Amino acid sequence: MARYPFLLVVLVHSLGWMNISGVVSPATAQDPVQTEASGRAGFEKKVLPVLRRKCVRCHGGTDEVRGDVNLAILVDQSALVSDPELIQDLIRVIDLSEMPPEDEGELPGKIRSSLLNELRQQLELSVARQDRLGLAELRRMNRFQYNNAVKDLFELKSIVFTLPERMMREHGNYFKPASGKMPDHVKVGSRPLGKSQMIEKRLAGVAAFPQDLRAEHGFDNRGDQLSLSPLLMDAFLGLSKSILESPDFKPPNVGIWHDFFAAPEGAASIRDELSRRLRPFLTRAFRRPVSDASVNRYVDYASRQIKQGNSFTDAMKQVAGAVIASPRFLYLYSTSPRADASASGGEAVADDRVASLDRSADLDLASRMSFFLWGSLPDLELIEMAETGQLRQPEVLQAQFRRMMSDHKLKRFCDSFPSQWLQLERIISSVPNRDKFPGFYMSKYRHSMHMMLEPLLLFEAVLIENLPLTQLIDSDFTYRSPLLRNAYDGSGSGGKGGGVTVLNFTRQEVTDRRQGGVITSPATMTMTSGPERTKPITRGAWVSTVIFNLPPEPPPADVPPLEEKNSAAELDLTLRERLAIHRERADCAGCHEKIDPLGFALENYDPIGKWRDTYDNGREIDVSGQLFRRHQFSDIVGFKDAILAEKDRFVRGFAGHLLSFALARELGPQDQSELDRIAAATIADDDRIQTLVREVVFSKPFLGGVVLSQQHLTTSP
Amino acid sequence: MKSTSRRNFLQSVGGVLVALPWLESVGMAAGNSTVAQRMVHYYVPIGVVRRGFFPGEADHVIPKGNLGNFFRSLGEQDPNFAVKPLEQLTPTLEPLEPFKHKINLITGMDRAFQQGTDVHAQCASCYLSSAKPYTIQGSAWPIDRTLDHTVADHVGRETPFSTLEFSCNSHRDNKESIHFDNISWYGTGHLAPSIRDPRKMYDRLFGTGQATQSREVTDLVLEDARDLKRDLSYADSQKFAEYFDALRSIETQMKRLQRMKTELATVDFPEPPETYLPRGQYIRLMGDLMVVALQTGLTNVATFMIGPERWDTPFMFEGLFDKPRSHHQMSHNQTKFIDDLLRVDRFHMEQYVYILNRMNSIQEADGSSLLDNSLVTYGSGLGDGATHQYNDLPIVMAGGGDRVKSGQHINMPEGTPLANLWLTQAQLMGMEIDSFADSEGVIGSLTV
Repeated sequence: MARYPFLLVVLVHSLGWMNISGVVSPATAQDPVQTEASGRAGFEKKVLPVLRRKCVRCHGGTDEVRGDVNLAILVDQSALVSDPELIQDLIRVIDLSEMPPEDEGELPGKIRSSLLNELRQQLELSVARQDRLGLAELRRMNRFQYNNAVKDLFELKSIVFTLPERMMREHGNYFKPASGKMPDHVKVGSRPLGKSQMIEKRLAGVAAFPQDLRAEHGFDNRGDQLSLSPLLMDAFLGLSKSILESPDFKPPNVGIWHDFFAAPEGAASIRDELSRRLRPFLTRAFRRPVSDASVNRYVDYASRQIKQGNSFTDAMKQVAGAVIASPRFLYLYSTSPRADASASGGEAVADDRVASLDRSADLDLASRMSFFLWGSLPDLELIEMAETGQLRQPEVLQAQFRRMMSDHKLKRFCDSFPSQWLQLERIISSVPNRDKFPGFYMSKYRHSMHMMLEPLLLFEAVLIENLPLTQLIDSDFTYRSPLLRNAYDGSGSGGKGGGVTVLNFTRQEVTDRRQGGVITSPATMTMTSGPERTKPITRGAWVSTVIFNLPPEPPPADVPPLEEKNSAAELDLTLRERLAIHRERADCAGCHEKIDPLGFALENYDPIGKWRDTYDNGREIDVSGQLFRRHQFSDIVGFKDAILAEKDRFVRGFAGHLLSFALARELGPQDQSELDRIAAATIADDDRIQTLVREVVFSKPFLGGVVLSQQHLTTSP
Repeated sequence: MKSTSRRNFLQSVGGVLVALPWLESVGMAAGNSTVAQRMVHYYVPIGVVRRGFFPGEADHVIPKGNLGNFFRSLGEQDPNFAVKPLEQLTPTLEPLEPFKHKINLITGMDRAFQQGTDVHAQCASCYLSSAKPYTIQGSAWPIDRTLDHTVADHVGRETPFSTLEFSCNSHRDNKESIHFDNISWYGTGHLAPSIRDPRKMYDRLFGTGQATQSREVTDLVLEDARDLKRDLSYADSQKFAEYFDALRSIETQMKRLQRMKTELATVDFPEPPETYLPRGQYIRLMGDLMVVALQTGLTNVATFMIGPERWDTPFMFEGLFDKPRSHHQMSHNQTKFIDDLLRVDRFHMEQYVYILNRMNSIQEADGSSLLDNSLVTYGSGLGDGATHQYNDLPIVMAGGGDRVKSGQHINMPEGTPLANLWLTQAQLMGMEIDSFADSEGVIGSLTV
């Protein structure tokens, strides 16, 4: 065990991702020898002196290695570049002015920025040297993707099974991304709390496998979380059978029935017919052209079924069942070497080998795009663009991206990314004290079933209208139901709730800046509170994680948590005073100094997100604080202004969430320069969200082995 | 299997379940004339209240609230090796009174925490693996093939299921990641998921062993799998082995279930109801399912999680509290909730004793009891829910019959890895290995 476990925690999780100055040009490909030499010189001139002067006394001096971070071992540049994680950590703490600590004396601005620039260069050098090909990328589809992929493959008119992970139900087809506009009135439903939501049209007799859990600070599509067990394999085999045998699996519900399942009319050779039908089907299911050998295997299987006396349709059902149990369907994987590997190749490779590798890379990209934006298989057009080598032309890639962003299937992105990014499922288990907040409950239901839809609708509007990301922080509009208007607008203009199956939400202007945006939405405020009181630290941690992508470690506090009800001695204190009493350790304070103000800033919102000016005991609420040791604020509007002043950090943080979702993996030091680039391009285009999504698609890690065929397009989408 | 009304079902969970006649397959499962050896791990999340559990600590300090990543005991433990007869039981251990002569209380076992994850994240997930910290590449968790699978490689070669994973996590929200919900892993990053729903478990055990797909289909997809493997990078093809493993296990499982079909048809176990069950009944029903699986030779190895690690969503503990309570949140305020936490600890112990009772009442071919032929270990990945210590874990090992010296309180010297116990158990289960995970030796006092 480390001697100072706390300190490590304080240091490591206080680190940020941010690159305050925005863009940094990646180390350009120069003569390697020259780069090496300048790297060494840079380290000796700009890094080492600062480390010696400011850091090593605590981190690796004669008898102290605070926080388990030993910087005294960095005697030369090679020691530094061998540890990209360390460089990344150094950049974060220095960028966020967390180190050196206040009592050490801050670094002068000029030295800080020169140090940061140099460390970023060193990170580039360091990453270039690392062999990062050792980790598996292969993963099975998660439940959400499986449902979508099966639905798309058979062109089903209903879903396969009910998915509680989809928090919002669309009624009346309001979601029209091609229009570039969200309608003012939308009809929606809420899954987890509205009973009738479970009765969606779906395939009878098909039971889902268990929901996939979300990674800590990550998404439910992460490869390291998705593995296959015999139990699950059994479920997949059973599923594929039960889907095809469902009584609802019949012509009107199955779009490809006529072309695939229906018996042929002519008397052409059955084998030819089977092969004619199976090839495109397999191509779509496996997202790649299939070899003659594997088409033949499936054709053989089908003809055997027919010979054994099965009808043509039944034989095709059997084959289709086998196809969706195949690993080529169930697994997401790349078959091309990654960009970082192919770039450093250097050996002469035969042309046809190059072409085949290129095609693999293009097809991998097509799948990556469709699972990112559609949560499902690529369609035939996308596969064809990849197969013919066109997808690597930037204008084609751009056009395909535009097409995908305009397709209704973009709803799947909206059904998976935003709720996980916002951690919205937390509201399902929010149960405010019924005696204290009777208004939160309505017979068997809770207001939360309305609340959770508001940030999701805001996100959808921002996305399809291509608005600046800052609208997510401080929007000038929102979507509310009469019930929410009644409860939260203070105007009493809403009228009563209405049904519980279909909820009517209407777009409304937000002029009062205490409202608007995802942070102060009743959903967020409620799910970050306990049954009795608000939880400023929980709220602060939420803001830090979700908005700035700086997830703190779980509470390392050596202190009792607050009693739900004030003890007699504390009756007259404010929550802040009470927390201060309960928090005396200096090493805890270090971290809480950063998180707590982000939560206290929201103290005017009570445990169900309603505005309050004073606490129950009559004391004024003090929300003042500072953000990143830089921006003072004294009320919620000031807090939103502070976040907006740091919007570049929010944009980059958001880019990190999105890139991690798109790649279905945790990000690392090797992704930092691309995050800088994505953020810079977005900021340069007024923070527009579609620009950010596009830049993710055009980013190096997302393109994988694909090298775009000409200069990167610079036009905005 | 006949269907059942709610009424006769409730009778069965009340413990009236008729003891099954000894089945031929039980003996056969071991592959010779001796009775099969079984192993069960009963996992308790979020540690225990030390004062209620550990002998001699009744007057120790109550941790003031959540000590976060505090990692060590507040009170003084005996740092030296000691073996004493198990005499006066502490309040939490009291339900074990009838089994005093068949159990060992083992204290002083430690685990190493690997920096890089939340403190709870390794409690359950690494409990049965205890890989040497920092030796697993590309993962923040020191997870390796867990003890249950390692042992099942040896004693599960003839049973339809080499292991079974039970979990009494009835939460419906998706709050935590896989690392908080599982103690069983096939290997690093390769989860052996548990079944939480008694009806699903029932189907798995008694669902007639019908093939979920035809042989032809599995052959077809196997061909695809072989093709696909050739296209993969080294790391990906390593992970992809899971697909072959899964298909292979399903196939053997089916074959063996078919073989046992006739015997299984004689098992009188009512189908679990769809209705909500109070927590105690739910846990005991899962326990009954586990016991019947062990008894009939459906498996020789099982893990049983009494609840998920951390997971703040409250559970309704019927009969304990009148409102839903979060075990984890209470554990962070021992000062206030100590009495309630002690009730939860005791409740968990009672469910363990229920399982011991069931196993003890089942007679096997040679006249011994199912419990005598099993190692049934109660344990938690934390020594205390408030201090979050990875040292001095609460462990009780029951069963083992003549092969185990019982009725003792064994206090291992400070710093003894928990893996020493796992190694001892692996050897008791007949494995000839001399190390497991970060083990440094065996616990000699357990063996005769």
